[in-house]
Amino acid sequence: MDSKRTHTLIVVAALAAVVSGAAAQEAPKAPVSRAEYEKLRREVDDLKAQLATRPTIQPDQGVQPTRDALEETRMRLDALESLTADFKTSDSGFLMAGFASAGYTDSEDENSTFSAGFSPVFLWQFNDRLLFEAELEFGLESVDGEGETEVELEYANGSYLLNDYITVGAGKFLTPFGMFGERLHPTWINKLPNMPFPYMHHGGIAPMTSLGAFVRGGIPLGEAKGNYSLYISNGPSLETEGHHPGTLSFENFDDANDNKALGGRIGFLPISSLELGYSFQFADVDASTFDQDVDSFIQGFDVSYVREYDAIRGVIDVRFEWVFSDVDDAVFFDEDHGEFFTFDNTRHGGYAQLAYRPTQVDIDFVKNLEVVGRYDWLDVGSGVPDDDKERWAIGLNYWLTNSSVIKLSYQQTDVDNQDETGAFLAQFAIGF
Amino acid sequence: MRRRTIIRRASVGLFATALALGIIVGCGMNETSAALGPEPASLGVLSARESNEAVTGGAQLWAQNCNRCHNYRAPASLSDQQWKIVLHHMRVRANLTAKEHREILRFLQAAN
Repeated sequence: MDSKRTHTLIVVAALAAVVSGAAAQEAPKAPVSRAEYEKLRREVDDLKAQLATRPTIQPDQGVQPTRDALEETRMRLDALESLTADFKTSDSGFLMAGFASAGYTDSEDENSTFSAGFSPVFLWQFNDRLLFEAELEFGLESVDGEGETEVELEYANGSYLLNDYITVGAGKFLTPFGMFGERLHPTWINKLPNMPFPYMHHGGIAPMTSLGAFVRGGIPLGEAKGNYSLYISNGPSLETEGHHPGTLSFENFDDANDNKALGGRIGFLPISSLELGYSFQFADVDASTFDQDVDSFIQGFDVSYVREYDAIRGVIDVRFEWVFSDVDDAVFFDEDHGEFFTFDNTRHGGYAQLAYRPTQVDIDFVKNLEVVGRYDWLDVGSGVPDDDKERWAIGLNYWLTNSSVIKLSYQQTDVDNQDETGAFLAQFAIGF
Repeated sequence: MRRRTIIRRASVGLFATALALGIIVGCGMNETSAALGPEPASLGVLSARESNEAVTGGAQLWAQNCNRCHNYRAPASLSDQQWKIVLHHMRVRANLTAKEHREILRFLQAAN
């Protein structure tokens, strides 16, 4: 009985505690005093007054300036896109290509020197048939101890694809004579730092550029292929005085004797890796210094063979060219002795070149190497006031990319009546 | 002087005759109405098999012709339009045939 009473008391006490707690939470707050009420009212009035003085903002009013700024930005962007489109070569018919080089030559008989060259090529394709191309050649030259920048318009001509087999063109163009002058002379293509004797700017015997008109094309011949080039141009002039009497100059821009040169090249490819070519040029030479009637006949024969062989794990590149120049006898003037003289003005020269690159070797460094050997010569007829010369050159090239190369070479030159001289040449060349 | 005039006239005459003959014969032998490489869009007229064959043939011609003078340029190094200009230039310079021009261009534009 006592325990039942005790349990009852505990329950009652617990209920009382719960009820008192709830009553405490729901107890009303104390009433606001008059002063507090007045203070709160003043604050509300102040807030109302501040709100009334602020400008009314319409829903669109904040967006409009942003829209204007966006529109102006869009217009500026359109204008910029229009401007860049004019210069974006990928969508136009214009393309700039070319090549550049920097070199060093250390020769036994001359002071060592650095050299540099830059030859941008500009191509404009007006439509699918019409192309204009031009190359500028910037070089450095030392004249009487003074450094000069030499600028030359190497070629500038327009050509038109008449049909599948004929392309016609006119202007100044690389003469389609042999292979080196037209296709191999760019420094990133030429496998040695210098040019073979027959194609040298001074004392060479093959025409490098011509000013005139040409017709050319390629013709499929079953499994074989043929190609042809025929041109008519201002004839060459004959050097009758100076250091190289009897040499032909093909930079005859005004054709002083009003006679033309006719020339061309016929190529035949019995298989794709082998090309055989025969070139010729016949001209009535400008020797107007002494009003002479002089003809010239130049012929050339070229062979190229390029093929990759698995057996030797690489590419071999074989080139051979031979050029023969026959100029009628003429009268020349010896400035040193003050007398006239003549001679049998025939010359011939050429080069043979072999290169190998191990393209199939797994080691990257090795596959980028290329070894080159070249023998070139230039012989002159008896009595010609110039000397026979021959040269051996070996080279080691490292291809940084497919169109940029570092070339190192050593050459030994033998000129008649002079000591044999050696030279070390280095060149960096890039095609772009 | 008379000799020079004769030579000049003979040279011009020979060149003009060769050009005229070439035009007459060449126009008669034309394989296609256009002597050119195709516009990129014109590839669409070929069937898939023809297109694949053309591209494969172009790759072979690209390898055979370009390497005769210089190293290959990677197809990705130029855009479609740039290759079109370069191939036009190389057709003139290297005396490529019209077929070589067309197929090499197809390959390069497909592979770049």
